[in-house]
Amino acid sequence: MSSRELLENHLAAARGTPALRAAAWSALSAALKADVEAGRFDEVREVVKSAALPTLDLAWVQALHRILAKLPRAERPLKVAVLGGFTTDYLVQGIDVFLFASGVDVQVYSPSYGTFRQEILDPESELYRFAPSIVYLATSRRDLGPFPSVGESPERVAEHVAAERDQWARLWQTLHDRLGCQVIQNNFDAPPWRLLANCEMSASAPGGYLTRLNLALVDGAPAYVTIHDVDGLSASAGRQAWGDERYFHVAKLPCAPASLVDYAHSVSSVIAALRGKARKCLVLDLDNTLWGGVVGDDGLGGIRLGQGDAVGEAFLAFQEYVLGLSRRGILLAVCSKNTDSVAREVFEKHSEMRLGLRDIACFVANWDDKATNVRAIAKTLNIGLDSLVFVDDNPAERSLVRKFAPLVAVPELPTDAAGYVAALEQHRYFQVTALTKEDLHRAEYYRAEAERKHIEESATDLGEFLRSLSMVAQVGPVSPLSLERTVQLINKSNQYNLTTRRYSNADLVALLGDPRWITRTVTLADKFGDNGLISVVIAKIEGDDLLVDTWLMSCRVLKRTVEHYVRNHLASLALERKLRRIRGDYIPTPKNALVEDHYQRLGFSCTGKDADGRTHWELALEGWSPGPSFIETGTART
Amino acid sequence: MIPYREELQGVFREVFGDDAIVLRPEMTSADFDGWDSLQHVTLMIAIETRFNIRFATAEISRLKTEGSTVGTMLELLRAKLADR
Repeated sequence: MSSRELLENHLAAARGTPALRAAAWSALSAALKADVEAGRFDEVREVVKSAALPTLDLAWVQALHRILAKLPRAERPLKVAVLGGFTTDYLVQGIDVFLFASGVDVQVYSPSYGTFRQEILDPESELYRFAPSIVYLATSRRDLGPFPSVGESPERVAEHVAAERDQWARLWQTLHDRLGCQVIQNNFDAPPWRLLANCEMSASAPGGYLTRLNLALVDGAPAYVTIHDVDGLSASAGRQAWGDERYFHVAKLPCAPASLVDYAHSVSSVIAALRGKARKCLVLDLDNTLWGGVVGDDGLGGIRLGQGDAVGEAFLAFQEYVLGLSRRGILLAVCSKNTDSVAREVFEKHSEMRLGLRDIACFVANWDDKATNVRAIAKTLNIGLDSLVFVDDNPAERSLVRKFAPLVAVPELPTDAAGYVAALEQHRYFQVTALTKEDLHRAEYYRAEAERKHIEESATDLGEFLRSLSMVAQVGPVSPLSLERTVQLINKSNQYNLTTRRYSNADLVALLGDPRWITRTVTLADKFGDNGLISVVIAKIEGDDLLVDTWLMSCRVLKRTVEHYVRNHLASLALERKLRRIRGDYIPTPKNALVEDHYQRLGFSCTGKDADGRTHWELALEGWSPGPSFIETGTART
Repeated sequence: MIPYREELQGVFREVFGDDAIVLRPEMTSADFDGWDSLQHVTLMIAIETRFNIRFATAEISRLKTEGSTVGTMLELLRAKLADR
């Protein structure tokens, strides 16, 4: 059997006996090895993407790590330094495997444990020669200074907390100053024992102190630091199960071996999210996924949903969870084999439904195959297939989508709806590293977009349509308020992105302080609502030229003449500074063919083409005048 | 026929990534490629997982010390599984 077929066995066996799991794994890993030998690298990539789960045994992750070592890897991998207060070898192997599965090739530097302070403080250390983009401080409570004595006053404990926090902040600052890197800092897992028993949460008890310190870390972390919630992992595993002291004594492992894989998965998901790889959209089946039963057969009154019936309550609880995801920025879509009106009727008329039609950014109910429908959903929402998570109770549909739309994440579901939330959660598909205003309002943006599409279809003249939108833009340099969202866009925009250059929070802050560089962000509002921050330009003044380094735009505002508006803004900016030309490049990638003729459409002339497909463009500003615009400039937002 | 030899051999093959491994009681860590202290921990973890047993702290270290063989490991395994 091929590794693709064996993958299905492997995923199904996750719910079976240990012997069944082991047998399925060994068949799959043998097939993967054979694929590598035969040079079927794409198949390996595809299968590993689905097989690399946080529930794997440690030995299996190691086996995957060995298999991946034989694959050709990216020429310019993401450089990550893992600085450990404990043995990090297993985490490093896991990070390699899980980030590969998220589409990020990494190169990891990890010096021996316990040397992290020296590595950071010594400007001549190997760390600085390696020059990582991300530094992960894999530390634990054992790396902290002295704890408060039991009985110390809350005021003294607060001073302790501040002093400890400042120690770490100085390490972050040093890393940031010398590398301009993003820092990931573990928070500190409380020990499984409770010295003060029921009073363990009081300020001077170890547990109480660590809790206060963790809160201080997360509240006071600068933008270039992401706190990794290890204490949360420990709580999820159960503190007794997590804190297997034997392997700390023998090998300085940070937790029980059984939790190492999940630990690595967690930090990998944070790194992936920092690189813009978090998923954005949850695609939901309806019958037996959002409610019990089949509405087409059982009728509106016959489906199981709501209070008074245990199974109905389980489906209700799943809807509550999904609604929570939607409210924090995850898009929802429906993909159901149903008659459209029958499916919609449940949303419109069933009194127990927690999800309404207004929560669904894209609703597809028909009899086409689901792989086709999933592609249509991605197209409608203007997002990549690798942004989707497909949730369906039917194993055949899951298998079909895995096979024909392999970029979509397809989690296994238990047969019991009460287990849906946990089944989805474990994958950390929707990892968050910072909460932006855009995240919280994303569902509104997409709903407004659907209304705009409706008008666009009814308007006969494009100019008339654009005028009817009453668009107002605000444009200005990157500010502390817009920094997070700007970095997010820079790292996840693939399609409308001329050069696909990625910048971290820290990189951008460095540019802001340099007078040669100009940064601009654009927000766009119209009569249907606010689209938020949708375009970013980074440019450099070189002699008489304004050189565009980065120009990108969210695809949610395609064909709204935002790029023309931005060009006009750049031109007037350049003229104010007595510059003569705007120059820019287009660097082709597999995803940005959309902007191949961006500069041409904006009136630039092509000045050259390189062997790799890269094109060079310029706009002479002498005698140039902006055309009419459909977008007005508004006053700055507060 | 040595009890648990086959099963233990399976674990070794998985951990060392070598399907040609054949266990004999007199073998020591020197007989395997890459049996360093980390690989030893990996092996102990894999054995615990496979047989659903728990080594004591001292046993984990003892199995790596001089004079310890695959035979020692099999004996310990037998003793632990007989206890149940």
